[in-house]
Amino acid sequence: MTRPILSIDDLNTAFKVGGEWRNVIRDVTFDIAERETVAVVGESGSGKSVTAMSIMRLLGPNARSTGRIEFEGQDLLSLPMDLMQHIRGNRIGMIFQEPMTSLNPVLKIGDQITEVLMQHRGMDQGKARAEAVRLLDKVRIPSAQARLNEYPMSFSGGMRQRVVIAIALACEPKLLIADEPTTALDVTIQAQILELIKTLQQEEGMSVLFITHDMGVVAEISDRTVVMYRGDIVEADTTERIFRDAAHPYTRALLSAVPQLGSMAGEPRPLRFPIVDMRTGEAQPVKPTADTVRTDEAPILKVDHLVTRFPVRKGILQRTVGNIHAVEDVSFELRKGETLSLVGESGCGKSTTGRSIIRLTDLTSGSVTISGRDVASASKTELASIRRDAQMIFQDPFESLNPRMRVGDAIAEPMVTHGLVNRADARQRVGKLLEQVGLSPAMADRFPHEFSGGQRQRVCIARALALDPKLIVADESVSALDVSIKAQVINLMLDLQEQLGLGYLFISHDMAVVERISHRVAVMYLGEIVEIGPRQAVFENPQHPYTRKLMSAVPIADPTRRRVRNISNDEIRSPYHDAGYTPAPLHYQEVSAGHFVQMQAVEKAA
Amino acid sequence: MSNPHELSTSVHAGTETIAAKPAMSPLKRTFIALLHNRLALTGLIITGILLLAAILAPVLAPQDPYDLAQLDIMDGRLAPGGESMSGLTYWLGTDTQGRDLVSAIMYGLRTSILVGLVSAAVALVIGTSIGLFSAYAGGRTDAVLMRIVDIQLSFPSILIALIFLAILGQGVDKIIIALVVTQWAYYARTVRGSALVESKRAYIEAARSMALPDRSIIFRHMLPNCLPPLIVVATMRVAYAIMLEATLSFLGIGLPVTEPSLGLLISNGFEYILSGDYWISFFPGITLLLLIVGINLIGDALRDILNPRREG
Repeated sequence: MTRPILSIDDLNTAFKVGGEWRNVIRDVTFDIAERETVAVVGESGSGKSVTAMSIMRLLGPNARSTGRIEFEGQDLLSLPMDLMQHIRGNRIGMIFQEPMTSLNPVLKIGDQITEVLMQHRGMDQGKARAEAVRLLDKVRIPSAQARLNEYPMSFSGGMRQRVVIAIALACEPKLLIADEPTTALDVTIQAQILELIKTLQQEEGMSVLFITHDMGVVAEISDRTVVMYRGDIVEADTTERIFRDAAHPYTRALLSAVPQLGSMAGEPRPLRFPIVDMRTGEAQPVKPTADTVRTDEAPILKVDHLVTRFPVRKGILQRTVGNIHAVEDVSFELRKGETLSLVGESGCGKSTTGRSIIRLTDLTSGSVTISGRDVASASKTELASIRRDAQMIFQDPFESLNPRMRVGDAIAEPMVTHGLVNRADARQRVGKLLEQVGLSPAMADRFPHEFSGGQRQRVCIARALALDPKLIVADESVSALDVSIKAQVINLMLDLQEQLGLGYLFISHDMAVVERISHRVAVMYLGEIVEIGPRQAVFENPQHPYTRKLMSAVPIADPTRRRVRNISNDEIRSPYHDAGYTPAPLHYQEVSAGHFVQMQAVEKAA
Repeated sequence: MSNPHELSTSVHAGTETIAAKPAMSPLKRTFIALLHNRLALTGLIITGILLLAAILAPVLAPQDPYDLAQLDIMDGRLAPGGESMSGLTYWLGTDTQGRDLVSAIMYGLRTSILVGLVSAAVALVIGTSIGLFSAYAGGRTDAVLMRIVDIQLSFPSILIALIFLAILGQGVDKIIIALVVTQWAYYARTVRGSALVESKRAYIEAARSMALPDRSIIFRHMLPNCLPPLIVVATMRVAYAIMLEATLSFLGIGLPVTEPSLGLLISNGFEYILSGDYWISFFPGITLLLLIVGINLIGDALRDILNPRREG
């Protein structure tokens, strides 16, 4: 057997917190062989990033690592800083989560690459430039020569990440450490980057240490997987074995909480996530959801030809030179007890649709009716009463709670202002609401920072329920949560739908979660709905090319189903158009009962 | 309907941990942090002593400097430590009128601090309201209000104060008005800045989506989150107001001679400095210096403590 490239032995890293050393990772031990991809997976606080930083010795003076990190026969921990500097970037390349912050915004892309080449490989200007073009070609950036003179801001997120990868590859490293490199990217772009990393690994013969929280990505990319939980390695094995029969209860709990695209085939209704006990590893049987959709009543939400555009102004006179067509001609209905998901990538207008519906953003044209009342023309007082029926839950539960207000007051405030209860009864009702979302009434006296992320989102749900709404607009409400917490919050939302008959407009970029929770699905692209219909119809029989592309890009948490994918390097187009542009009217074709697909230009012409 | 209790147990079996940090009000936390900062503690002690001296002046002062019956012109310009005809020791000496300087300083502090605090408080209320309103209204209203602030800030404070006092005349109320006029713009600018940042955050959006009235969004949600920078500015501005008042009084256009502030005391002794009777100006000057330094030390420490980047 050949010697591993990187061999980590009993690595402990501690941080100094208030004068005390606190261990963040304990006895981390694993190897990476030549040309091997090892994934370190875990939820937030598991110590996966600290592990990566410890290897590179990038942690500040407030941290200390003990143990042994052997790389190419040298112990990195005992290496002097100047030699370490030589290893970093030269022998070990690193890419980070946020491509924008790892590039210098005021330096041209070309200069940033040539700088590394001249510094580390002693090339002269001319040679370095030629090499930079070769590297950009290698990471499949179209017309590389021309783009050398551009600044990072004119690159899209995916292209920026490619540039970062090109810089990491500049010195032909033996090991590439990728810390959540695709987390900030859209799913189709993520698929491109993952594919790129795989190809490059083969071409360059590198080893890759891949840090991620996403089990789907792990299944796609890694040969071996290390599962971490609160600073400890709980399990390390080949990826196949981890996914087939994980030994540790935590791994099993984690895997059971991962929504898998396609796992809902044949299920007519949304499904709860099985909750696995962290100690025993046993799953509780899942209660099937009741049929909550009330087809006998009038829809609670009707959206009719909704258009929302944002003017782009320029010059001293602030003339409108163009518009961002955020939402274009969107129509749908939502019934009591029904979940309609709006799914799409960033910039597709799904959030703007949600915000326009409760008029947090003013609509340009079209109409929105909530419980029979028109939102667009509502006066201030009417709008206040409409908003009692339609509540919103935001993405970031920490941001959406006032940090200086006790959560009990935050939940009571809307009820008291709308005169639903008096101050004395409010407390009791707050307690009830907290119980309803799975918290204890005693927590009402706490401030938001005293809760964990999942609990905070529960508080936000309790606050949204305070006004007894019929409709809840959930804008990426579970996206920021760790996977096991996400599963719990989704189960809670399904419980509440059964108990209260809530209608959900569930806005998300996560196809797998959407498949789990929705009755109907609308896929959005560039502000338009390209496909809408019952969940089963859309997921099992996707008609529009964009829907298909989106679904094929979702990583599947099953290494045996790894496919060779044909991924185009398309970017998401911009919804900006010059002033005076009138979009062509949309036409839909009904492929099966309630399943509508936008007809494309070719078909329209025919 | 499913049993909520059953639901909650399944939650606690999950991985969520309850943060065990004790609930401490932000005010208390700030105060404790102040006590742990050596410079701030010095500032607090200096300011505290001077404040007490000012408040308790009528009780503690050996003499009522306003009561002409207690003054003896024969005791005029006595050096520090000198004794009066009636056996009283003047620890810091006397001024030309035979006034005990210890007492005069205590009463002077009273006036100075009163003027500083009241004008800062009034300016704070006016400036904060305008700043919040400006940020919340946005658009044209915001532009107009902020241009007024710009114009105001482009003139030196002392010039504006001079003009106002020239129009209004002398008096405690007049100088407070002049100081408010020169100061409100600083508060408005500060509050508007942080309110603009806050108004973009999701909890304000959440409040709007719950159809809370504007008044409660502004005062219950936005204002408390704008307080940290405001507190820092307010502390520094109190010191500045006291200094400005002293300057104006020194120039003889601030307070009337009947209500001597520290500035007026300094001015009274100014002409005698060169003739060797340094103490008449010197001790009020030192007191003023201590007060300003004390307040600024607290302000500096507050700036560090309340800096949002410091919070982990």
